Amino acid sequence: MIAIVDCNSFYCSCERLFRPDLESKPVVVLSNNDGCIISRTDEAKALGVDMAGPYFKAKPIIEANNVAVFSSNYNLYGDLSWRVMETLRIMFGKDRLEVYSVDECFINLDMISADEISEVAMQIRTTVEQWTGIKVSVGVAPTKVLAKVANKLSKKNKQATQCVMVLDTKTKIERALQQTNIDAVWGVGFSYSEKLKHYGIHTAFDLSIKNTTWASKHLGGVVGVRLLQELKGIPSIQMKDELLCKKVIMTTRMFGAPVTDIKSIKEAVATYTARAAEKLRRQYSAAKMIGVFMVAKQENHHVTYNRGATISSYTTLPIATSLTNLLIKPALELVERLFEEGTVYKKAGVTLSDIVPDTSVQGNLFLPEADNKGRLLMNTIDNINFSQRNDILKFASSGTTRNWKMQQNFHSPKYTSRWEDLCLVK
Amino acid sequence: MNEKFLYRAAYVGIKEFKQQDVKTANASGFGAAADDFMERGIDLNEMLVHNKPATYFFRMNSDAMEPSGIFKHDVLIVDRSIKAASGKVIVAAVNGELIVRRYQQSINKAILCADNKRYKDIVMDEFSQFHCWGVITYTIHQLHLK
Repeated sequence: MIAIVDCNSFYCSCERLFRPDLESKPVVVLSNNDGCIISRTDEAKALGVDMAGPYFKAKPIIEANNVAVFSSNYNLYGDLSWRVMETLRIMFGKDRLEVYSVDECFINLDMISADEISEVAMQIRTTVEQWTGIKVSVGVAPTKVLAKVANKLSKKNKQATQCVMVLDTKTKIERALQQTNIDAVWGVGFSYSEKLKHYGIHTAFDLSIKNTTWASKHLGGVVGVRLLQELKGIPSIQMKDELLCKKVIMTTRMFGAPVTDIKSIKEAVATYTARAAEKLRRQYSAAKMIGVFMVAKQENHHVTYNRGATISSYTTLPIATSLTNLLIKPALELVERLFEEGTVYKKAGVTLSDIVPDTSVQGNLFLPEADNKGRLLMNTIDNINFSQRNDILKFASSGTTRNWKMQQNFHSPKYTSRWEDLCLVK
Repeated sequence: MNEKFLYRAAYVGIKEFKQQDVKTANASGFGAAADDFMERGIDLNEMLVHNKPATYFFRMNSDAMEPSGIFKHDVLIVDRSIKAASGKVIVAAVNGELIVRRYQQSINKAILCADNKRYKDIVMDEFSQFHCWGVITYTIHQLHLK
């Protein structure tokens, strides 16, 4: 059996942890730059606050109902995510876990006997909540897709299920599939669900009684067959090992205010490059390709709420590198190539790809220290920045005024990572 | 709540310590004798943090517990994995506020007592909104506040 542990309204739960006054009150968390709603509690949902909707649209409801609003505090969410996953690692061992996202984790429960499974599932929920303070839902089933189905259903009626659902018999699985709309199945996107409805498939159950030939034909070949098998209770999507090395590293932000001058964009891109390079070095990698993209602001975005035009370009570097200074230079050249006078930009980003292991890391015996000065300098900068925080050492091209910096007007304290931000108690 | 942690390790504190982290004299000449006896040094985490994912820090902001040696500005180390038992000092969430009190459990009610007698006891009945946030295991007190 496979379990999926999913944190309930994760970012909101994090904000509530040190704010018991917000228990059972509506809470929302906004995306970077306070643009969209990216997490909401059940109470906020009940008021009609749209998930992923823009903040300004929901503002009337939010103000009328005194909904608590937070800017995203990724520092806090990252720490609490680590605590949730670490608790599961202590309970089950890291080899049985697949951390799927910041707030979701698959657990292989093959070693648990059938009569114990419900108790273990309940224990996962109570232990994680007791230790970390984060409420989670647990879905258990023979396959990953069915575990997801179970998890969703357990969240629908939290009181009755106590946020735990185990699908361990054929009848239970069938009943769960009948209660699940086709578009809520993991891996079925919006366009596929429209197509399936056209074929008269409205619930997960309708799909699960099709045969593999049908799935292969109408559901995109092998992927579709795998999904169907999973719905039938035959494990077809394997547990993945921990992802240690990312193959693409991206750093992107919305600007705090629309930007029209090349100087600000260059500062922003230099800053993002430095951050991306830091992430690159953290996993002992070097990149051979760097890309820059810029997003123009659309005139009538209040009406259409579109993404706006993205322009991008990339360069291949002569040798793979992880040195910030060697990456900033081509990045700024790309900005010059992309920038158009008179355009209003709202966002920019940097991607590093073609990632290889960094052979110049400190400790390489075959490189004389003198040839490795750049990498040693980076080590020193990283050490200072990580121990002193706040990017105390910056490259000059990152600028000092930073008027493009993102807006975060409702940021909560970094309760778990800064001495000066500790929660006060009486 | 039945708390038997089926798969809980005996010790869940700071285990990440490598042989290479042991300090040596690094003498270029004759230093090997002492190196044979070097071991892991004193690490405050080992003493103060028994269950890392369940340990949080708070800062005391009142004199409610001064007779027990918890002063204003002290750092409180809170372990959420420990169950509240009568006599323990806990961080409690009462009516939307986080407070530090000694927990006293009797048959039909729970009492949150401040050791400082200027504070009234808070008696919890079944209608009060109350839960134990975590149990305080250590406090860190700076002797000479700058």
